[in-house]
Amino acid sequence: MLLSISALSIFGLIIVLMAAYGYRISAKTAEDYMLGGRTIGVVVMFFFVLFAISSAWTFYGFPGLLYTEGPGYVMFIWGSVAGFAGLYMFLGPRLWALAKVNRFLSPVEVLAERYRSPGLRLILSLSILAFIVPYVGIQPLGVGAGFEALTGLPAIWGAIYTTVILVVLVLLGGMRIVAWVNIFLGVVYMSALLGSLVWAVNALFPTGGLTEAVSILAVERPEMLSSPGPVGRYSPVVLGGTFVVGLLAFSWPHVAIGCMTARDKKLFKQFPLLIFVFGGLFFYIIPFIWGSIVAPAAMPVAELEALAAENGVTLQTEADRVVQTIITRNLPQWFGVFVLLGVIAAAVSTAAVQLMTSGVIVSRDVIQGIFRPNAGDAEITRWARWSVIGIVVLSLIVSFAYQGAMALYLTDVSVPGFAQWAPALVGGLLWRRGTKQGAIAGTVSGVIFLVASLLVVVNGERILVVGHPVLGSLLVNTLVYIVVSKLTPRLDEEIETVFFDEVEAYLEAESHNA
Amino acid sequence: MSLMKEIARHTAGKVYLLLLVLSVVGFIVFMAMGGTDAAESGEPIVLFGWMTMPLVSGVVFILFWLVTYLVYFNFFWPYR
Repeated sequence: MLLSISALSIFGLIIVLMAAYGYRISAKTAEDYMLGGRTIGVVVMFFFVLFAISSAWTFYGFPGLLYTEGPGYVMFIWGSVAGFAGLYMFLGPRLWALAKVNRFLSPVEVLAERYRSPGLRLILSLSILAFIVPYVGIQPLGVGAGFEALTGLPAIWGAIYTTVILVVLVLLGGMRIVAWVNIFLGVVYMSALLGSLVWAVNALFPTGGLTEAVSILAVERPEMLSSPGPVGRYSPVVLGGTFVVGLLAFSWPHVAIGCMTARDKKLFKQFPLLIFVFGGLFFYIIPFIWGSIVAPAAMPVAELEALAAENGVTLQTEADRVVQTIITRNLPQWFGVFVLLGVIAAAVSTAAVQLMTSGVIVSRDVIQGIFRPNAGDAEITRWARWSVIGIVVLSLIVSFAYQGAMALYLTDVSVPGFAQWAPALVGGLLWRRGTKQGAIAGTVSGVIFLVASLLVVVNGERILVVGHPVLGSLLVNTLVYIVVSKLTPRLDEEIETVFFDEVEAYLEAESHNA
Repeated sequence: MSLMKEIARHTAGKVYLLLLVLSVVGFIVFMAMGGTDAAESGEPIVLFGWMTMPLVSGVVFILFWLVTYLVYFNFFWPYR
């Protein structure tokens, strides 16, 4: 216990000191606080984005769902890697150039100006906040589960600890220091994730390593080694749907905002290489091996069911912390503490970026964009900082009230929600014919369809869900956006000039200057 | 229409986009055809003793995107 508390204290102190240092060196402008002064280079950006998207979910939720439902869920990862790379290859340069040339501070602001619509600004802000806020709350709660598995203390203490670190980091630091802290958090996280896998495999399967683990599964639980998996969930339709949901990762607002912090255009050429090689071919394979091979071979499902019954939780909740449980049982205690630090690092790195994004949207788009258009730099920075506390409290309440499987919350609620601004985003950046009316009608119908598809349950089935909650809602959103845009007058020439011609000319010029 | 003009306006860009679309469609078709299922005998297909088909197929997919990206962005991308 003393070891755990000491390690957690030192870890927390390092983050707080980094945040304080960030505050001291920051330029105290809105641009500096919200977008790191647009000075993030490729290495920092890589840690910033990779660990913004790799949360407690990667360590707990993802392996937890693989453990109970088999390897088919990995299709989400393959889609996500392509989606993130696609964002930086296709949309990123334009989003970056537009924001830089016009001094936009939020991606919602970009679209509000592109479509000339304060109404769309409010709709997009509320829709993004509605889906991002509960996801922020999942992070501290995820840490709480691991904290309980390691120390036996109530999960709420782990959640409170994580929340305090988060709030201090975001309040003091701003986007630049959140990005820099993500390097530290990423190193801790990666060491814990990879180190735990290597050590656990050596300790649990000393003669044959992963081959031995797979041999055990082939005898005891062979359905874990292929789709549709042990509960038959991953039919071809669900596999394809899960992959498509992953592709939509380009629309995650806390990832899209990263494009606006880039120092220069070269970053967009180099970044996908890191995503493919480091993210797709290395990093995400680690939790996959943990959840689909090592954990099920080391801990039979009957044993985990008994543990869940003992703890009074569902099998999925227990599975969400199976990695931590195996480490706690089989590796030295100090390493279990280190792994918990890794999970806290994962949770903080993601939630901090999500909180920053939410704070930017609240202050720049809702407060300044709608209610206080004359608010100055200092005022909107203050709003961005202090709204963080409100968002954290709200997100914890929501997440605590509706606890479910961590992995499914991400893919079944948050990602479909994030995707609802995708047609307006893609169309706004790439399609001259997209109109304000089309963007508003598409977004509103997509959100309404999504909420209805999640809430309307007949005989235990969500009758409006076809394959996956995102598919129907996104289809409706996109169709309405295109049809209404085609039926309404096209934009005036000035918008086309600013948002298309000038941006293309700027990117061309940057290419020659480079 | 500005749909990814910088990429779609030249042949290499069109080929690149086409390859990516085909890879996505091909991957989905592969799954639909049961490429990640167990063999007909019921035995799961495992490569190198531990790589299951959902992993192998994804790695191949990512490698394809990696190679096409390297070629296009280093030799043909207009903003390189």
